[in-house]
Amino acid sequence: MALPGALAGIRVLDFTWVRAGPWATRMLGSLGAEIIKVEWPENLDMIRRGTATVPEGVEEGPNSAGLFADSNANKLGITLNIRSESGLDLVRDLIAVSDIVMENFSSRVMQRRGLGYEELRKLKPDIIYVSMAGFGHTGRHHSYTTMGPSAQALSGLTFLSGVPDAPPAGWGYSYLDDTGGMYGAMCALTALRHRTVTGQGQHVDLSQMTMGITLTGAAFLDRTVNGRESRREGYPPGNRTVWPGAPLENSYRGPAAVPHNAYRTRGGGHNDWCVIACFSDEEWEELVRVMGSPQWATDADLSGLPGRIRRQDDIDQNIEVWTQTLEKYELAAMCQDTGVRAMPVQSSQDRVENDPQLRERGMFMEFDHAVLGRREYQSVPFKLSKTSAEVRGPAPLIGQHTREVMEGLLGLSRQEVLDGYDDGTLWPADMPRHLYIEEALK
Amino acid sequence: MTEASIGQTGTALAGPLAGIRVLELADEKGQFCGKLMADLGADVVKIEPPGGQNTRSVGPFLDDVPHPERSLYFWHYNTSKRSVTLDLESSEGKGLFLRMVPTADVVLETYPPGYLPGLGLGHDDLARLNPGLITCSLTPFGQTGPWRDYQTSDIVHLAAGGQMASCGYDPEDVPDAPPIAPGGGNAWHIACHHAYIAIMAALHYRAMNGEGQLIDASVHESCALTTEGAVPTYIYTGKVVQRHTGRHAFPGQSSRTQRSTKDGRWVQITGGNPTPRRLRALAEWMDTYGLAQDLLDEKYHDLDTFRQSIGHFNDVIAEFLSHIDLEEAWQGGQQRGFPWGAIRTMEEIVGDPHLEDRNFFTDVDHQELGRNFTYPGPAAIYNGSPWSISRRAPLIGEHNQEIYCGELGLSRQELSLLAEARVI
Repeated sequence: MALPGALAGIRVLDFTWVRAGPWATRMLGSLGAEIIKVEWPENLDMIRRGTATVPEGVEEGPNSAGLFADSNANKLGITLNIRSESGLDLVRDLIAVSDIVMENFSSRVMQRRGLGYEELRKLKPDIIYVSMAGFGHTGRHHSYTTMGPSAQALSGLTFLSGVPDAPPAGWGYSYLDDTGGMYGAMCALTALRHRTVTGQGQHVDLSQMTMGITLTGAAFLDRTVNGRESRREGYPPGNRTVWPGAPLENSYRGPAAVPHNAYRTRGGGHNDWCVIACFSDEEWEELVRVMGSPQWATDADLSGLPGRIRRQDDIDQNIEVWTQTLEKYELAAMCQDTGVRAMPVQSSQDRVENDPQLRERGMFMEFDHAVLGRREYQSVPFKLSKTSAEVRGPAPLIGQHTREVMEGLLGLSRQEVLDGYDDGTLWPADMPRHLYIEEALK
Repeated sequence: MTEASIGQTGTALAGPLAGIRVLELADEKGQFCGKLMADLGADVVKIEPPGGQNTRSVGPFLDDVPHPERSLYFWHYNTSKRSVTLDLESSEGKGLFLRMVPTADVVLETYPPGYLPGLGLGHDDLARLNPGLITCSLTPFGQTGPWRDYQTSDIVHLAAGGQMASCGYDPEDVPDAPPIAPGGGNAWHIACHHAYIAIMAALHYRAMNGEGQLIDASVHESCALTTEGAVPTYIYTGKVVQRHTGRHAFPGQSSRTQRSTKDGRWVQITGGNPTPRRLRALAEWMDTYGLAQDLLDEKYHDLDTFRQSIGHFNDVIAEFLSHIDLEEAWQGGQQRGFPWGAIRTMEEIVGDPHLEDRNFFTDVDHQELGRNFTYPGPAAIYNGSPWSISRRAPLIGEHNQEIYCGELGLSRQELSLLAEARVI
């Protein structure tokens, strides 16, 4: 696409690692910002070290993790020893030519390295500094740390998910890492707008645990306004909006609705399920017609919501007898043809292979990666009519762009770069260099 | 910066989006995006159908009394906005809307694809009146594609987007469990975060180049992009993750990380960065209860041995946690460098002193009720321009006079006639 990026000309100095921070800068890169990811081989990003997404037949190493390749798309990668004085000098030079600095270390790491906000603004008075610590930099427990799952637990998100009288099901992934990344990007862009208008930068102190609380929806106000107890009968209500037999209290899924559940479909596999939800009597009648108006469903008692709530277990069981005769995409299409809200539970494989919508909208783009070969990368969930918004290429190999950035951006000579490799500033002096680094230094 | 100075500057400064006006034509799909912008300082004018948006009929309600001005759901998602009522399908209503468009920076809308253009209110129509206008159309599947007109809801998106495929139970905990949709509203939250980013990027581009544009944002794509490692795991290994109770979906078996405590609660102990010092501190803590078993042995403080013995570690830790209460468990872990977290409910979150320190809890005045209520406040502290709720959600058409008379210059008589004709 020949469109310019909306953030063309914006440079982000990226100290982030693991998932939430890299996901933030990846998005800014998709919008056209230049992202310079700063790494050090002796303190590798744990996602680079992870082995679970190394493809079969690929040797394990810092450039072999598929999850890293996708999470860190759209970035330049440099290696720089910020624990050395010479490395710190180069970092300062980079800050002076950057618009935004982002990091997701625990709360006092940047300060201890002499890179707290007060230092950053001396180097670049209008710098935007976004910190993404678990508990934030402010508050008595600022030194506490989180991973996605513990942030979800502490924010109240985990408790909301599950069936009554069982442990919480929670989120089966680090939702607050992905979403934390989006908040990091939101904070950077919001502060950028403030800078455009006022000329002033600022420190944005984001907290991963805190951001999850608002995402519990009306649960918070139901507590502070109505005094509702969270540990109550029939709550959380599984996939339903109300639990059979329990008091009719809102479970924060939106309006009360029956049916509202996941139903097993033909095949019976782990992801052979389809969700169906009817939010009005008319939608229910439509579903009854799609099912072929079986006798159980035409019972007048079920034509209104109170009756459907009373007999929800019966309804769910009977719907599932029907859904098990159909394949999940076929079932969803039958429902959708008459306006019934239904979609298959889609696995990762389904979304990559079987989802015609994501395919047509270009949500996966192919790129070559020196170690991982040609692969698909997740793109961007919106389109802008005048600027590009899409994944631009896989993650950098470790240190792939060090020379390019040092010479092109900071104006170092080739000799200074070579010296930096020899004295442990740009690569650990005693660590063998990858072939591509040797090539880049020729 | 000290905490006190944040509080002081926070009251004196405008929010980072001050000066931006948003016209919000959004239901449950987009209202959270409008709230984020409004709490950050934008003037978000919510344009509701006469009688109020249907999101006002969603519970829970104040004191469980259903009423369009008592929906806590609506309150939560519409803070800091103003409200006018308007029938966009009437010619007078359409005319009033078009008179507001030149004052707007952003139109945020969630109507089905084609609806607004069908009324002559598509982005191209509006941009003729306001070339810098940014229109964000947030729809279930975007403006194009084979599923464009499919009907959805929050849980329907959580199914199609992949959230449910990753969330649920081990069969030992709940036999035959279906995939479990995480807490309600998160499909909309995920979409609104992305819509917000797109709008801010477009605002930046406009500031640099003067041009507005149209954003075509998709709830489905937003959800499909928000499943962490599930898609890369498939792309790189061909494996599909399986659901497990309270921990990461994973292609094979994995250790439990959600453990029960003596007081019948749960603590989440995923991940972290163990060091010999931390492992020793953990063992010494367990030993104060006589529950360290053999973990005081120096060999377990070596990281290689730790990794090889992780199953043993998990067993000993689980046994220990079952002998202490939740509060001691998670804070004790944190104090020793482990990123543990209590599975909290609102009872434990409201009043959390750390969140108090961050001025998270926000007292919001509901003057018409003569009451104040505590709301969840900012996720981030902006030290140069505060993120804070400026007022409760608007009443239906609360700002009709302010905007139609005060800004557009209608007389009170004209306003009355429009109300009688159900235009507003």
